[in-house]
Amino acid sequence: MTTTQFDGIYHGLSPEVGKFRIAVSGMAWKAEEGDQMVAMQASDIKWAQWIRVARNYQLRVGLKDRSKETFDGFVREDHDRLAHLLKQHFSITLETKEVSFKGWNWGVTDFQGQELAFLVSNKTAFELPLTQVANSNIAGRTEVSLEFATQNRKPSRNAPDEMVEIRFYVPGTQTKSRGSDA
Amino acid sequence: GTGGKEGKGWKRFQSYKGEAALPREVENLRIFVDRKSQSVVLPIHGYAVPFHINTIKNVSKNEEAEITLLRVNFQTPGQLAGRKEDTPFEDPDATFIRSITYRSIDGSRFDAISKQITDLKKEVNKREQQKKEMAD
Repeated sequence: MTTTQFDGIYHGLSPEVGKFRIAVSGMAWKAEEGDQMVAMQASDIKWAQWIRVARNYQLRVGLKDRSKETFDGFVREDHDRLAHLLKQHFSITLETKEVSFKGWNWGVTDFQGQELAFLVSNKTAFELPLTQVANSNIAGRTEVSLEFATQNRKPSRNAPDEMVEIRFYVPGTQTKSRGSDA
Repeated sequence: GTGGKEGKGWKRFQSYKGEAALPREVENLRIFVDRKSQSVVLPIHGYAVPFHINTIKNVSKNEEAEITLLRVNFQTPGQLAGRKEDTPFEDPDATFIRSITYRSIDGSRFDAISKQITDLKKEVNKREQQKKEMAD
Protein backbone atom coordinates (compact mmCIF):
# COMPACT_ATOMS: atom_id res chain seq x y z
CA MET A 1 0.00 0.00 0.00
CA THR A 2 1.40 3.41 -0.89
CA THR A 3 1.70 6.33 1.46
CA THR A 4 2.68 9.81 0.38
CA GLN A 5 4.47 11.98 2.90
CA PHE A 6 4.85 15.77 3.15
CA ASP A 7 7.42 17.18 5.56
CA GLY A 8 7.54 20.46 7.46
CA ILE A 9 3.79 20.64 8.07
CA TYR A 10 2.09 22.35 11.04
CA HIS A 11 -1.22 21.37 12.63
CA GLY A 12 -3.56 24.27 13.38
CA LEU A 13 -1.68 27.31 14.65
CA SER A 14 0.74 25.23 16.69
CA PRO A 15 4.48 25.90 16.28
CA GLU A 16 5.18 22.13 16.24
CA VAL A 17 6.40 20.89 12.91
CA GLY A 18 5.52 17.39 11.71
CA LYS A 19 4.89 14.96 8.88
CA PHE A 20 1.67 14.71 6.93
CA ARG A 21 0.77 11.39 5.34
CA ILE A 22 -1.90 10.37 2.87
CA ALA A 23 -2.96 6.81 2.09
CA VAL A 24 -6.14 5.17 0.83
CA SER A 25 -7.22 4.58 4.45
CA GLY A 26 -7.03 8.25 5.40
CA MET A 27 -4.70 11.08 6.35
CA ALA A 28 -2.61 11.75 9.44
CA TRP A 29 -0.26 14.33 10.89
CA LYS A 30 2.39 13.43 13.42
CA ALA A 31 4.72 15.78 15.30
CA GLU A 32 8.40 15.40 14.53
CA GLU A 33 9.13 15.48 18.25
CA GLY A 34 6.75 14.12 20.87
CA ASP A 35 3.61 12.03 20.45
CA GLN A 36 1.14 14.56 19.08
CA MET A 37 -0.93 13.07 16.32
CA VAL A 38 -4.07 13.80 14.30
CA ALA A 39 -5.68 11.07 12.22
CA MET A 40 -8.59 11.32 9.78
CA GLN A 41 -10.35 8.23 8.45
CA ALA A 42 -11.08 8.13 4.72
CA SER A 43 -14.83 7.75 5.36
CA ASP A 44 -14.87 10.89 7.55
CA ILE A 45 -13.26 13.20 5.01
CA LYS A 46 -15.89 15.37 3.31
CA TRP A 47 -14.12 18.30 1.66
CA ALA A 48 -10.74 19.96 1.28
CA GLN A 49 -9.58 23.51 0.60
CA TRP A 50 -6.29 25.07 -0.43
CA ILE A 51 -5.54 28.54 0.98
CA ARG A 52 -2.52 30.84 1.02
CA VAL A 53 -1.79 31.63 4.66
CA ALA A 54 1.22 33.06 6.54
CA ARG A 55 3.02 29.71 6.69
CA ASN A 56 2.77 29.11 2.97
CA TYR A 57 -0.26 27.06 1.95
CA GLN A 58 -2.91 25.53 4.16
CA LEU A 59 -4.79 22.31 3.56
CA ARG A 60 -8.15 22.59 5.29
CA VAL A 61 -10.06 19.37 5.75
CA GLY A 62 -13.77 19.18 6.56
CA LEU A 63 -14.92 16.12 8.49
CA LYS A 64 -18.17 14.22 8.81
CA ASP A 65 -18.90 15.60 12.29
CA ARG A 66 -18.71 19.16 10.79
CA SER A 67 -15.39 19.82 12.49
CA LYS A 68 -12.35 20.74 10.49
CA GLU A 69 -8.61 20.40 10.71
CA THR A 70 -6.00 22.71 9.22
CA PHE A 71 -2.45 21.97 8.15
CA ASP A 72 -0.04 24.78 7.22
CA GLY A 73 3.33 24.63 5.50
CA PHE A 74 2.55 23.11 2.11
CA VAL A 75 4.35 24.70 -0.82
CA ARG A 76 2.78 25.78 -4.08
CA GLU A 77 4.30 22.78 -5.87
CA ASP A 78 2.43 20.39 -3.54
CA HIS A 79 -0.94 21.47 -4.90
CA ASP A 80 -1.23 19.18 -7.92
CA ARG A 81 0.05 16.12 -6.10
CA LEU A 82 -2.28 16.78 -3.17
CA ALA A 83 -5.27 17.40 -5.46
CA HIS A 84 -4.57 14.16 -7.30
CA LEU A 85 -4.27 12.09 -4.09
CA LEU A 86 -7.47 13.52 -2.59
CA LYS A 87 -9.34 12.73 -5.78
CA GLN A 88 -7.88 9.26 -6.12
CA HIS A 89 -8.23 8.14 -2.48
CA PHE A 90 -11.32 10.00 -1.24
CA SER A 91 -13.03 11.23 -4.42
CA ILE A 92 -12.96 14.83 -3.23
CA THR A 93 -11.92 17.95 -5.13
CA LEU A 94 -9.33 20.26 -3.64
CA GLU A 95 -10.95 23.68 -3.87
CA THR A 96 -8.90 26.86 -3.89
CA LYS A 97 -10.08 29.62 -1.56
CA GLU A 98 -9.13 32.99 -3.03
CA VAL A 99 -7.32 35.34 -0.67
CA SER A 100 -7.04 39.13 -0.94
CA PHE A 101 -3.65 40.82 -0.72
CA LYS A 102 -4.89 44.27 -1.67
CA GLY A 103 -4.03 45.83 1.67
CA TRP A 104 -7.39 47.53 2.19
CA ASN A 105 -9.07 47.94 5.57
CA TRP A 106 -12.60 48.01 4.22
CA GLY A 107 -14.75 45.16 3.03
CA VAL A 108 -17.66 42.98 4.05
CA THR A 109 -18.01 40.74 7.09
CA ASP A 110 -19.58 37.35 6.54
CA PHE A 111 -20.54 34.75 9.13
CA GLN A 112 -19.43 31.32 7.94
CA GLY A 113 -20.26 28.75 10.60
CA GLN A 114 -17.87 29.22 13.53
CA GLU A 115 -15.90 31.91 11.74
CA LEU A 116 -16.36 35.56 10.95
CA ALA A 117 -14.75 36.16 7.56
CA PHE A 118 -13.59 39.55 6.34
CA LEU A 119 -13.85 39.81 2.55
CA VAL A 120 -12.12 42.40 0.39
CA SER A 121 -13.38 42.54 -3.21
CA ASN A 122 -15.13 39.19 -2.67
CA LYS A 123 -11.91 37.47 -1.58
CA THR A 124 -11.11 36.37 1.98
CA ALA A 125 -8.66 38.64 3.80
CA PHE A 126 -8.85 36.69 7.07
CA GLU A 127 -11.18 34.70 9.30
CA LEU A 128 -11.78 35.08 13.03
CA PRO A 129 -12.73 32.03 15.11
CA LEU A 130 -15.83 33.11 17.04
CA THR A 131 -15.24 30.36 19.60
CA GLN A 132 -12.14 32.27 20.77
CA VAL A 133 -13.92 35.58 21.29
CA ALA A 134 -13.74 36.30 25.01
CA ASN A 135 -15.69 39.54 24.95
CA SER A 136 -17.45 41.75 22.47
CA ASN A 137 -18.68 45.28 22.70
CA ILE A 138 -20.85 47.61 20.70
CA ALA A 139 -20.21 51.33 21.07
CA GLY A 140 -22.37 54.05 19.57
CA ARG A 141 -24.16 51.61 17.24
CA THR A 142 -21.40 51.84 14.65
CA GLU A 143 -18.39 50.35 16.40
CA VAL A 144 -17.97 46.68 17.26
CA SER A 145 -14.99 45.33 19.13
CA LEU A 146 -13.99 41.70 19.57
CA GLU A 147 -11.54 40.66 22.26
CA PHE A 148 -9.73 37.36 22.03
CA ALA A 149 -8.71 35.08 24.85
CA THR A 150 -4.94 35.00 25.07
CA GLN A 151 -3.31 31.63 24.68
CA ASN A 152 -1.43 30.42 27.73
CA ARG A 153 1.80 29.84 25.90
CA LYS A 154 5.16 29.81 27.54
CA PRO A 155 6.64 33.27 27.17
CA SER A 156 9.36 33.18 24.57
CA ARG A 157 11.22 35.75 22.53
CA ASN A 158 10.35 33.89 19.35
CA ALA A 159 6.65 33.58 20.11
CA PRO A 160 4.21 34.78 17.46
CA ASP A 161 2.55 38.16 17.94
CA GLU A 162 -0.82 37.57 19.49
CA MET A 163 -3.84 39.52 18.34
CA VAL A 164 -5.90 40.52 21.38
CA GLU A 165 -8.50 42.89 19.96
CA ILE A 166 -10.01 44.06 16.69
CA ARG A 167 -12.41 46.96 16.26
CA PHE A 168 -14.73 47.43 13.32
CA TYR A 169 -16.51 50.55 12.16
CA VAL A 170 -19.87 49.58 10.69
CA PRO A 171 -21.45 52.70 9.21
CA GLY A 172 -24.14 50.79 7.32
CA THR A 173 -25.81 49.16 10.35
CA GLN A 174 -28.66 51.66 10.72
CA THR A 175 -29.98 51.13 7.22
CA LYS A 176 -29.10 47.55 6.43
CA SER A 177 -27.50 44.64 8.16
CA ARG A 178 -26.05 41.41 6.98
CA GLY A 179 -26.15 38.45 9.35
CA SER A 180 -25.94 40.69 12.39
CA ASP A 181 -29.29 40.22 14.10
CA ALA A 182 -27.56 38.67 17.14
CA GLY B 1 -18.28 46.70 -5.53
CA THR B 2 -15.11 47.63 -7.36
CA GLY B 3 -14.49 50.84 -9.18
CA GLY B 4 -16.91 53.57 -10.07
CA LYS B 5 -17.75 54.82 -6.61
CA GLU B 6 -14.34 56.24 -5.76
CA GLY B 7 -14.68 59.04 -3.25
CA LYS B 8 -13.17 62.43 -3.66
CA GLY B 9 -9.42 62.20 -3.70
CA TRP B 10 -9.37 58.44 -3.28
CA LYS B 11 -6.58 56.92 -5.25
CA ARG B 12 -6.46 53.25 -5.98
CA PHE B 13 -3.62 51.48 -4.19
CA GLN B 14 -2.70 47.88 -3.58
CA SER B 15 -0.18 46.08 -1.35
CA TYR B 16 0.51 42.99 -3.46
CA LYS B 17 -0.65 41.80 -6.84
CA GLY B 18 -0.83 38.20 -5.72
CA GLU B 19 0.24 35.65 -3.14
CA ALA B 20 3.66 35.09 -4.73
CA ALA B 21 4.65 38.64 -3.80
CA LEU B 22 4.14 38.10 -0.06
CA PRO B 23 7.51 38.47 1.71
CA ARG B 24 9.05 35.38 3.25
CA GLU B 25 9.21 37.01 6.71
CA VAL B 26 5.45 36.62 7.24
CA GLU B 27 6.02 32.93 7.93
CA ASN B 28 6.94 33.46 11.59
CA LEU B 29 3.44 34.85 12.39
CA ARG B 30 4.80 38.21 13.52
CA ILE B 31 4.10 41.75 12.39
CA PHE B 32 6.29 42.66 9.42
CA VAL B 33 6.82 46.12 7.98
CA ASP B 34 7.48 45.81 4.24
CA ARG B 35 8.91 49.15 3.16
CA LYS B 36 9.20 48.06 -0.46
CA SER B 37 5.46 47.53 -0.85
CA GLN B 38 4.60 50.34 1.61
CA SER B 39 2.65 47.85 3.69
CA VAL B 40 2.40 46.37 7.15
CA VAL B 41 1.64 42.64 7.19
CA LEU B 42 -0.31 41.55 10.26
CA PRO B 43 -0.68 37.94 11.41
CA ILE B 44 -4.40 37.26 11.92
CA HIS B 45 -5.23 33.71 13.03
CA GLY B 46 -2.81 32.12 10.62
CA TYR B 47 -3.38 34.49 7.71
CA ALA B 48 -0.77 37.04 6.64
CA VAL B 49 -2.87 40.16 6.10
CA PRO B 50 -1.28 43.17 4.41
CA PHE B 51 -2.44 46.70 5.12
CA HIS B 52 -1.22 49.45 2.82
CA ILE B 53 0.31 52.36 4.73
CA ASN B 54 -2.42 54.61 3.27
CA THR B 55 -4.97 52.75 5.39
CA ILE B 56 -2.98 53.25 8.60
CA LYS B 57 -3.55 56.34 10.72
CA ASN B 58 -0.97 55.73 13.45
CA VAL B 59 0.27 53.25 16.06
CA SER B 60 0.12 53.44 19.82
CA LYS B 61 1.91 51.47 22.48
CA ASN B 62 1.01 50.51 26.00
CA GLU B 63 3.23 48.76 28.52
CA GLU B 64 1.68 46.69 31.29
CA ALA B 65 4.23 44.94 33.52
CA GLU B 66 5.94 42.39 31.25
CA ILE B 67 3.45 42.76 28.43
CA THR B 68 3.59 45.33 25.66
CA LEU B 69 0.45 46.12 23.67
CA LEU B 70 0.75 47.57 20.18
CA ARG B 71 -2.33 49.03 18.57
CA VAL B 72 -2.52 49.83 14.88
CA ASN B 73 -5.16 52.49 14.20
CA PHE B 74 -6.66 52.68 10.72
CA GLN B 75 -8.20 55.44 8.65
CA THR B 76 -11.97 55.17 8.73
CA PRO B 77 -14.79 57.51 7.79
CA GLY B 78 -16.56 59.30 10.58
CA GLN B 79 -13.41 60.23 12.44
CA LEU B 80 -12.95 63.83 13.46
CA ALA B 81 -9.19 63.81 13.26
CA GLY B 82 -7.28 63.61 10.04
CA ARG B 83 -7.85 65.28 6.73
CA LYS B 84 -10.84 63.94 4.86
CA GLU B 85 -9.10 63.58 1.53
CA ASP B 86 -6.66 61.13 3.08
CA THR B 87 -9.37 58.67 4.03
CA PRO B 88 -9.48 55.82 1.56
CA PHE B 89 -13.08 55.56 0.50
CA GLU B 90 -14.17 53.12 -2.05
CA ASP B 91 -17.49 52.19 -0.59
CA PRO B 92 -18.44 54.34 2.43
CA ASP B 93 -21.05 51.72 3.43
CA ALA B 94 -18.46 49.00 3.77
CA THR B 95 -17.31 47.66 7.12
CA PHE B 96 -13.98 49.19 8.11
CA ILE B 97 -11.31 47.84 10.40
CA ARG B 98 -10.69 50.60 12.88
CA SER B 99 -7.91 49.08 14.99
CA ILE B 100 -6.08 45.85 15.73
CA THR B 101 -4.14 45.28 18.96
CA TYR B 102 -1.29 42.82 19.57
CA ARG B 103 0.52 41.71 22.68
CA SER B 104 4.09 40.59 23.13
CA ILE B 105 6.61 40.13 25.91
CA ASP B 106 9.28 41.52 23.60
CA GLY B 107 8.78 45.24 24.21
CA SER B 108 11.88 46.33 22.33
CA ARG B 109 10.68 44.61 19.16
CA PHE B 110 7.33 46.39 19.41
CA ASP B 111 9.29 49.64 19.89
CA ALA B 112 11.14 48.95 16.64
CA ILE B 113 7.95 48.05 14.74
CA SER B 114 6.18 51.12 16.02
CA LYS B 115 9.08 53.28 14.80
CA GLN B 116 9.19 51.53 11.40
CA ILE B 117 5.47 52.13 10.83
CA THR B 118 5.69 55.77 11.95
CA ASP B 119 8.72 56.37 9.71
CA LEU B 120 7.05 54.75 6.71
CA LYS B 121 3.96 56.87 7.27
CA LYS B 122 6.08 60.04 7.43
CA GLU B 123 8.00 59.07 4.31
CA VAL B 124 4.83 58.47 2.31
CA ASN B 125 3.19 61.67 3.58
CA LYS B 126 6.26 63.66 2.65
CA ARG B 127 6.27 62.23 -0.86
CA GLU B 128 2.56 63.00 -1.26
CA GLN B 129 3.18 66.56 -0.09
CA GLN B 130 5.99 66.99 -2.61
CA LYS B 131 3.76 65.65 -5.38
CA LYS B 132 1.05 68.14 -4.45
CA GLU B 133 3.52 71.03 -4.49
CA MET B 134 4.75 69.96 -7.91
CA ALA B 135 1.18 69.87 -9.19
CA ASP B 136 0.39 73.38 -7.95
